[in-house]
Amino acid sequence: MKYTTFNQKTTDTMKEPMFFGDPVNVARYDQQKHPIFEKLIEKQISFFWRPEEVDVSKDRVDFQKLTDAEKHIFTSNLKYQTLLDSVQGRSPNIAFLPIISLPELETWVETWSFFETIHSRSYTHILRNLFSNPSEVFDDIVVNEEIKRRATDISKYYDDLIFYTQLYQTRGEGVYTIDGETHEVNLRVLKKKLFLCMNSVNALEAIRFYVSFACTFAFAERELMEGNSKIIRLIARDENIHLTSTQHILNLWMKGKDDPEMAEIAKECEQEAKDIFLLAVSQEKEWAKYLFKDGSMLGLNEEILCQYVEYIANQRMAAIGMGQPFNVKGNPLPWMNNYLTSDNVQVAPQETEISSYLVGQIDSEVASGDFEEFEL
Amino acid sequence: MIVKNEKVSVCVNDSTRFSFNNEDSLLIAMEKQQIDVHFHCREGFCGACRTKLLSGEVEYKVDPLACIDDDEILACCCIPISDVEIQTY
Repeated sequence: MKYTTFNQKTTDTMKEPMFFGDPVNVARYDQQKHPIFEKLIEKQISFFWRPEEVDVSKDRVDFQKLTDAEKHIFTSNLKYQTLLDSVQGRSPNIAFLPIISLPELETWVETWSFFETIHSRSYTHILRNLFSNPSEVFDDIVVNEEIKRRATDISKYYDDLIFYTQLYQTRGEGVYTIDGETHEVNLRVLKKKLFLCMNSVNALEAIRFYVSFACTFAFAERELMEGNSKIIRLIARDENIHLTSTQHILNLWMKGKDDPEMAEIAKECEQEAKDIFLLAVSQEKEWAKYLFKDGSMLGLNEEILCQYVEYIANQRMAAIGMGQPFNVKGNPLPWMNNYLTSDNVQVAPQETEISSYLVGQIDSEVASGDFEEFEL
Repeated sequence: MIVKNEKVSVCVNDSTRFSFNNEDSLLIAMEKQQIDVHFHCREGFCGACRTKLLSGEVEYKVDPLACIDDDEILACCCIPISDVEIQTY
């Protein structure tokens, strides 16, 4: 089935599944099969921000004062986050857009990816300010073994889905031998790859950012690197919305509210999906170990950080029906919530009344009685 | 919004019972009672404050965007409009 950028066939998007139906033709939102995606688009756009709006100049002075161990923690985290957003800035577009069949979902994926590119640009903004030659930091991302190992696990599900989609859309169903490897391509196999890929993306958005978020906010608790922390808060807010979208997609499938075949696959791959999540959790814990190899930082150590990862994992796994596999009682880093609260994200003074500021927002509902007590 | 003169009661985890005092959200009301509730965004899009609604009815002040089950509520953006029994995670 060849991909077309404008499907000439008349389709009823109310009857299409989210993925692998007819390609989208008209980008219309007057009727929606899953209205949640348009609501997420609206919310996400209301969060628009630019890295350059945040002043990071004071961070340069703070950075010089950090110990070598702390400098290692700080730059390693930025490298890892740069990797994550490099992947997320392009992959949802390339992997999902060619197989999406609902206009609202298509636009959501594009909006999502766009915000990941803002995140990528903000890392350059931060690093340019800290280093006279930031290219050393960027160059290390592709050679650093610790980061490379994570990159493999993050990108492999995307790559697999993209490759099979390419085979399917150019040659159709069948068995193909390419470079000595045999690939069986059919819709069922593709849907299974999509399901695993979505689980991997969900785990990425749910877990993989949180060790570095915790470190950033731990610096901010000591009133260090506050410009950076402001940027990361905006990023954390966006990632929360992205996570909500992958949770919705997974739950729509699992509860049989979309493609019935995906509900079957979700059951079939239940354990595999859970393993993907648990692998992400253990990799985050290993990351904490790597960060603190030269020494920990004030207010944070490997043990408490690992407990926090488990605490977050419990919540995130429960949200997609995977139960709560870890035994953690209470939030081990309660101050994290102050940084993850949407209302506390600092915005322009005129916007402080409402965190998702809408341009030109007015209350047009004025009752005749509203001015009763008003006197000139 | 429905304005009620009679106060509704909230029962959490079958143990703590208190009356809802027109707080801005159920989450704020629970925090006043020193009940440990998870939260992140406090705006209905992250889902950290998911709570099971065992009985009763709530009303949302903003559209909840986070993914919740049919028997779950988002404490950060709803208020009870009848006596409710809830269970935290």
